[in-house]
Amino acid sequence: MTSAAVAVSPMLARLADEGATGVLVRDHGVLYLADGQVVHAESPAAPGIDVLLTAGGRIARTGWDEAVQRAGARREVGRFLVESGQLADGELEICHLGALHDAAYFTLAPTGGPTRFRYGVAHWLGRVRPVAAAEVAREARRRRALLDAVWPYPEIDSAPVLPAVLPGSPVAAPRQRALLALADGARTPAVIARLLGRPAFHTLLDVRRMAAAGLVETPSEPAAQPTARLPGWVAAFPDDPDIALLRRLRDALEANL
Amino acid sequence: MTNTETALKEAVAIEGAVGAALVDYTSGMALGTIGGGKDFDLNVAAAGNTDVVRAKVRTMEHLGLKDEIEDILITLGGQYHLIRLLKNRSGAGLFLYLALQKDRANLAMARHQLKRIEDSLEV
Repeated sequence: MTSAAVAVSPMLARLADEGATGVLVRDHGVLYLADGQVVHAESPAAPGIDVLLTAGGRIARTGWDEAVQRAGARREVGRFLVESGQLADGELEICHLGALHDAAYFTLAPTGGPTRFRYGVAHWLGRVRPVAAAEVAREARRRRALLDAVWPYPEIDSAPVLPAVLPGSPVAAPRQRALLALADGARTPAVIARLLGRPAFHTLLDVRRMAAAGLVETPSEPAAQPTARLPGWVAAFPDDPDIALLRRLRDALEANL
Repeated sequence: MTNTETALKEAVAIEGAVGAALVDYTSGMALGTIGGGKDFDLNVAAAGNTDVVRAKVRTMEHLGLKDEIEDILITLGGQYHLIRLLKNRSGAGLFLYLALQKDRANLAMARHQLKRIEDSLEV
C-alpha cells in the first residue's frame, strides 16, 4: 500500500466517525456518504449502475429513464425500480454493491490529487444498502493487492487490450472470450467493460489473468491514456463555497447601500 | 422477494450453521457475511473459495462438460463447507457459501434449505 492510499483513509475514517453526510471528491471519482456510511460511488473509469443494468438487457433503457424521471427529484430511483416491479430487492442490492465497490476502487486509487468533501450532498439513486467506510477502503486495498498478485503490471490496466497469439497458450474462458472479441487494439479495459455492461474491476482482473496466461500482450511502457479523471469543474469546487457566496452577497449589498 | 441480509440470516439459521457469505466470484468480494468470528474470517473464506469455484468451472470446460454446477461440497473433519452457485439474470457470477458444524448439521436438509434461499433471493 502506498502512502497516498493510506492518506485517503484518515479523512474517510474521520468523516465516518463524525457521521458526515455529503460527497467525497478525488481525482478519479466520488464517494457519497450518509451518516458516515458509504451509500454510493461514481467514477468515470467505472460503468454506472445504469450501464450494468441496461447493457446486459436486465432492464430496458426506457424503464431506467422513467425511474430517474419520476423518482430522481425525490432521490428514490432505486426504490422506484423495485416498487415498479423492474427489479427484485436482492438484485438491486447486489448490482448496486457491485457498482459502488467498482467506482470506489478507482476513487480511492493512490493519486497525488487533493481529497475534498462537500457536506450535505445526497445522490438521486437513494439509499440502497449503506456500507461502512472502513469496509469500502479495505475492499479497495484487497482489489489492488489481488490485481498485483495475479500479474504485477499496472500499466496494462489503461492500455488498449491486445490479444496475443502464442503457441500453446490456454483457451480463454467464455467470459474472457466475450472480452477478447471486443479487443480491437484500440479499446481499453474500461471501454470494453462499458460495452459488456460489466464492472471495470472485473474486466481489469480478466485482462491481468489473460496477460498472465499469455493471452493478452503486456505493454512495455506506461499507457498513453491514464485512468479517466473527473472533469475539472467537478473536482475543483471551492473548499468552503459559503465564503465565496457570502463575499459576493456582501459586495452586492455594499454596492446598493 | 428477499434482500441479501434476510437471505444471509436465513442461511445462518440452518441447523448447525456457523457462518454464511454471499460472494461475487469474479472479484472474490463478499457482498455480505454473517456469523464467522475471530477464528473464521468469512471475507478470507469468500476470496479463497472463489478460486475453488473458478478451478472447477475451468475443469468442466476442459472436459467439455456442457452442464452447470449446482453446488460444491467440501467435507472437513469437523465441518461441511457448502458452495451454492446462484443462477441469476444479471450475469454476475455469485455463490452462497455456508459453513456447517458437522456434528450438528443435516447435510441433505441444509442443501435443500440453501436451494430454497436461492429461489427466494431472486437474483
